[in-house]
Amino acid sequence: MAFMITCPICGRRNGYEFRYGGEDKGPYPWGQELSPRQWVDHVHMNSCTTGMQKEWWYHRDGCGTWFTIFRDTVTNVEVENPEAQK
Amino acid sequence: MKRLTNLPTLRVNPQSPIPFHYKNETWFGLDGDSLATALFANKVRIFARSLKYHRPRGLYSLDGECSNTMMEVDGIPNVRTETTLLKERNTIREQNVKGSATHDFLGVMDRLDWCMPAGFYYKCMHKPAKVWPLAMKVVRRAAGLGRLDPELELTATYDELYPGTDVCVIGGGPAGMCAALEAADQGLRVIILEARPWLGGFFDYRAAVSAQDQPLYQRSKDLAAKVQEKDNIRVFLQTSMVGAYADNLITAFQEGGPGDCFEQRYIEIRAKSVVVATGCRERPLLFENNERPGVMQIGCAHRLARTYGLLPGEQAVFSVGHDLGLEAAVDLFDLGLDVQAVADCRDEGQDANLVQALQDRKITFYPGWVAQEALGRPTVNRVRISSIDGTVTREFFCDLLVASAGLTPVTEPLGLVRSRFEFDQHTGYFLPVDYPTGMFPAGRIWGLNNSGSIEASGRLAGLHAAAACGVECNQELRAAEQAMHSLPGAQAGSKVVTAPVSGRKSFICFDEDVSVKNIKQALAQGFDVPELIKRFSSAGTGPGQGGIPGHNLPFLVAKLKAEPFAQLRPTTVRPPLVPVLMATYAGTTHEMTKRTPIHDIQVREGGVFRRAGVWMRARYFSPDLDVGPEVENVRTNVGMLDASTLGNFRIHGPDAHKALQRVYVGDMSRILPGRIKYSAMCNHDGCVIDDGVIWQVGENDYMFTTSTGRAGATIEWIRYHTRYEDWEFHLVNLTDGIGVINLAGPKAREALEKVSEADVSNQAFPFAHWRDFTVTGGVPVRAMRLGFVGELSYELHVAASFMPAVWEMLAQAGREMGIKPYGVEVQNVLRMEKGHVILGQESEQRTNLLDLGLGLLWSRDKEITPVGADALKQAEKDQNRLKLVGIQMEKNDHIPGDGCVIVDDRVIGYIGTIRQSRTLGAVVGMALVEGPYAREGNRLAVYENECQGELQYGAVTKMPFYDPTGERMKL
Repeated sequence: MAFMITCPICGRRNGYEFRYGGEDKGPYPWGQELSPRQWVDHVHMNSCTTGMQKEWWYHRDGCGTWFTIFRDTVTNVEVENPEAQK
Repeated sequence: MKRLTNLPTLRVNPQSPIPFHYKNETWFGLDGDSLATALFANKVRIFARSLKYHRPRGLYSLDGECSNTMMEVDGIPNVRTETTLLKERNTIREQNVKGSATHDFLGVMDRLDWCMPAGFYYKCMHKPAKVWPLAMKVVRRAAGLGRLDPELELTATYDELYPGTDVCVIGGGPAGMCAALEAADQGLRVIILEARPWLGGFFDYRAAVSAQDQPLYQRSKDLAAKVQEKDNIRVFLQTSMVGAYADNLITAFQEGGPGDCFEQRYIEIRAKSVVVATGCRERPLLFENNERPGVMQIGCAHRLARTYGLLPGEQAVFSVGHDLGLEAAVDLFDLGLDVQAVADCRDEGQDANLVQALQDRKITFYPGWVAQEALGRPTVNRVRISSIDGTVTREFFCDLLVASAGLTPVTEPLGLVRSRFEFDQHTGYFLPVDYPTGMFPAGRIWGLNNSGSIEASGRLAGLHAAAACGVECNQELRAAEQAMHSLPGAQAGSKVVTAPVSGRKSFICFDEDVSVKNIKQALAQGFDVPELIKRFSSAGTGPGQGGIPGHNLPFLVAKLKAEPFAQLRPTTVRPPLVPVLMATYAGTTHEMTKRTPIHDIQVREGGVFRRAGVWMRARYFSPDLDVGPEVENVRTNVGMLDASTLGNFRIHGPDAHKALQRVYVGDMSRILPGRIKYSAMCNHDGCVIDDGVIWQVGENDYMFTTSTGRAGATIEWIRYHTRYEDWEFHLVNLTDGIGVINLAGPKAREALEKVSEADVSNQAFPFAHWRDFTVTGGVPVRAMRLGFVGELSYELHVAASFMPAVWEMLAQAGREMGIKPYGVEVQNVLRMEKGHVILGQESEQRTNLLDLGLGLLWSRDKEITPVGADALKQAEKDQNRLKLVGIQMEKNDHIPGDGCVIVDDRVIGYIGTIRQSRTLGAVVGMALVEGPYAREGNRLAVYENECQGELQYGAVTKMPFYDPTGERMKL
């Protein structure tokens, strides 16, 4: 992706070094008896937010860490953690 | 044509003629000429015919803003001749003409404009439906400009470059150069992108006097010299910026010069900050026949003379809207052009010195007047000008009409990153009011016209760009801002768009032949905003990328709707900003593959290689494509296969077993010492993504293999599915460090015994176990007994550097047993006979663990649920899913291809792999069919592509076909 991403280990790098890992939906609900709807909601459905979204990225051409960033899906650039601004 | 050679602004070398071919003759241009100026120098005035009406077209902007002068060069169609440098022996041909550009038989289309109103493409070509296939053929032949020969092969090099920089300056004119120098002085790395073959921009060709009391061309040469001196400024000439993306990612496209090793090059720059100093282009004046050859913009006429030494005509009339036009009239008069009259659409506000200069030369000046119609065909020979209100007119004989409505900023680079613009009443420009952080517009884009102001604006932007890179330069910034205040600000600009005419032949878009009348038609049909009108009329959608209609379109629409300009915005722009060859985006083909440590040895042994993912692997070693003997040798004697490409991993740490439990469906908690566990990985859909074997080498220390194709993604996968845990484990990818030889066949043990002293009897080393020992020379080997091909086999893992030695020693030792190498295709046949699946061959994305009959691998009650378990629990209930079955064809004479579909009244499955089996004397394979069809003995119909409805038949057979009890693996 054209925008830059901040890796927690390597710092701010070209977006092309990373692979997208989806919206952050929290840990998979292991060991719970999920109904098909609950399962599909977690595995396949996305909230497709307009605006800020917490999501996972993998530093494929670098350290190989999985981490999250906040991205504004409208402007398509990484933004600061909203908590940090308070 | 005689050239003016005494000019200090000349950019061509009169001592250096360059031959080229045009109309079956050899002509000459000069070194430095563009193709268009070379043709112009040889008296060519009509370069091409327009798209729809086949109107004659010639030089207009000299910057390739329109497709007027696009021609076929060396077989490549649609070359922009105005921006392409002349090279030796270029062959130029006209395009889009029936006959020649001067006498085009399709010129009659111009009289049919009345039956091609705006939107006629959409409305008239669909009824009656039967006529359409024929109409389409005719229209298709007439459409487009150039013609691409399907046999054309581009043999030049198309390169790519990814320089990093601190500041990227777009535009090498005065503002850009000043910005670059300022940023460079602060110690930063700077890149300048300049579309022309030289720095200088709009100072380059002008003799007007600068703020420093020098002619502007001298000033720009001085600035350029300073730029070249700086080590930390890198200049890319002949480079057009084509795209801008988030976080100051800029893409550009460079034409190769005579010394370059590439024809064209793609450049991608990540900059910390960007200065946009792209300057202005001229706003075309709309009047009748405003695109006739002989009508030119001010810059075109002035630069033909000053840069290329070519007088743009003999007798000229000017109809301008900016002081640049007056300056050009005076300058060209002094160079020998007979200027009949100068009309200026502005009533007042002209530079008094320039008006005086016109008077001194006895050139009649008409303030508040504008060109109404260019007369003459195919080139201009007369012009009628009129007062702005159209009441008074005058006619003049001339062969050149220099026409321009005023200036307008080049806003596209800012538009690409969604900057917001607002119409400014004073300048008549769209000024940027909101643009991304780290981007700084500079120069004429702000409406500045004074040379000192432009340079100061550049310096200020350069300092802002430096500050954005973290340089502390507040003092300099304040000084630069102050300097700007004391210099002249933005100049008043003309807002005139059209002459007082009906507009039937006043073209707003030259590329698509859209006239003012067409715009009125679009409005009348309810398309009332520029974006819609643009698409409905197709104005601005041609190769010129909207440079000619540009800002005229929203202005004209506002004027026709009698709305204030303040509501207006420029139309959307998208990359690329200039036409780019697909070959440049494609770049050079890099054929890169990985090779195993014994690649060369296998080549010598006669291996036939094919790409397998990122690797080159030997498919087979048979010289004549009949792999039968190679297969038989493995079943009868012993064969060896290079399996080094397999993924090979170590996972260790206190929680290593947890990570394994999470990704593998089997239970990893009780792997006995010396034993191998076979298991599979699924995704959350329960679909199998990989299979492999796992073994334990120490406490909290395991190793496992993966398929070749998944090796690259394994670490990512395991870390992904454990990312919310705080488990402590480490993964090491040893794929490239471990070579693997698969020794298979009934005589495998005999061969192995000859190279090792270890006890490899069946009692000491049974099936599904692994042992570490050494072979000849003390080489450490880890041997694993697996059964992929259905014979006694040993998978020998050695350090990659020992691979060649171990391979050679086995080849020698096994000679008396008849050992031969075997390839991946042979392995394919062998394992298929044994009913073992290869992921991606029998399975596809939607195939789950149960479909493949591997449900026994799934350990349901382990503490850590594996990925995919929930989906598998659901899928179990579905009886209609595809099931893995064996298929035996009724006839032996033809083998359907892998992947053929199996049909009933619809598609009910597909064949994974199917081969002629010598061992069994039949055509057998593995297929997936829907549950109800999977009964043994069931007849299946196979549909092969292009079989013309003739189906082939087979029956569901029990698997494995070969050695069903599995004795041979366990020998």
